Amino acid sequence: MTDDPLTPRDEDDFLAAEYALGLAEGEDLTAARDRLRRDRDFAERVALWQERLVVMTDGIAPVTPGRKAKKELIKRLFPKQRVPLLERLWVWKGFTLAALIALAYFAMPTLRPPLPEAPLQLYATPLRGDVDDLELLAVVDPAKGDVALRRISGGAPSGRVLELWAILPDQAPISLGVLPTEENARVMLPQALRDSVPLLTLAISDEPPGGAPEGSPTGAIRAVGALSAL
Amino acid sequence: MDRDEIEGLIARVALQDRAAFEELYDRVSAKLFGVCLRVLTKRAAAEDAMQDTFVKIWKNADRYQANGLSPMTWLITIARNTSIDRLRARRKGHQDIDTPGLDLAAPGPSPEQFAIAASEAAKLTDCLDALEADRGAAVRGAYLDGQTYAELADRFNVPLNTMRTWLRRGLIALRECMSA
Repeated sequence: MTDDPLTPRDEDDFLAAEYALGLAEGEDLTAARDRLRRDRDFAERVALWQERLVVMTDGIAPVTPGRKAKKELIKRLFPKQRVPLLERLWVWKGFTLAALIALAYFAMPTLRPPLPEAPLQLYATPLRGDVDDLELLAVVDPAKGDVALRRISGGAPSGRVLELWAILPDQAPISLGVLPTEENARVMLPQALRDSVPLLTLAISDEPPGGAPEGSPTGAIRAVGALSAL
Repeated sequence: MDRDEIEGLIARVALQDRAAFEELYDRVSAKLFGVCLRVLTKRAAAEDAMQDTFVKIWKNADRYQANGLSPMTWLITIARNTSIDRLRARRKGHQDIDTPGLDLAAPGPSPEQFAIAASEAAKLTDCLDALEADRGAAVRGAYLDGQTYAELADRFNVPLNTMRTWLRRGLIALRECMSA
């Protein structure tokens, strides 16, 4: 370089501007990123350049994006929650219901054929969460106090176990025990809960081996589902 | 656009408030889309870049407070950087421009510094015009078209080092002019 030497202050300011413009490359970029983390003065310079340069966008007129863009964005960020209720019901009926009925049929052989005088009333729900891909189906037979679970995907994080909880509205979760690592599991519902099955929500948390030490969940709630009549 | 309102929305988005996110979208998406469209020129590409921008906003809103930028600067800078990344994406060895404030451990400028920056900002256009024409055009080319040193050198038919010197002098002069 044959140009006039810059003062260190100007040199720094130039590096900050270069970074803000996206001109920094290779080693310069790595160095700038590193300084940004450690050097408050440099971080300020970058921020001030961003403020200065952004004025170039003042003259850019707003353009309304297509309606589809927002829908796609929301779908992308919130894939599950945003599915319309009707569509969810449809999926539930078309796909999950079949799976639940199959599960009920195989998991509870004593129920077939159902006793004529006691119509078979089962409750079921998928259990899902936002933490990972853990997903189970649960079918409950209130008459027998029987809970059948089938794991669809996911499992316990390493070094942890999965514990099943029954939750009544406004009450503390009641442990139904630690789930085995097998795909299918059977759990007994305590007598006290059998009359309240329609109100029950089932939840799964991860816990230290052996289960939650104090009888209430200590780990993350990884999957939840509220029972409804099948 | 009201600074406090946008800042309030970003703060709520940081708490994963979806209603606030949708409101923020309704408030600023046209401006951000305009910026994406200016950089990328094609509508489909600009819509993709705008979506990516809002995904970054949703995921990084909790770091906004620490980066010291005014809210619209933060949002527009993400849109601009995301668009330019997309523009450059096909080039070999391209390194993404950072989302502003993402890696920032250091607190940003003080409110006083921002007041100064705001008063300086009004002068930017005049100051760019006051630069030697080529240098002003090079700064605009880098910021609005994402042109690299190599591309700028090619465009103005000067050696790479000369281009770096141009920009160095141009940017320092720009700063002096804006703070004068």
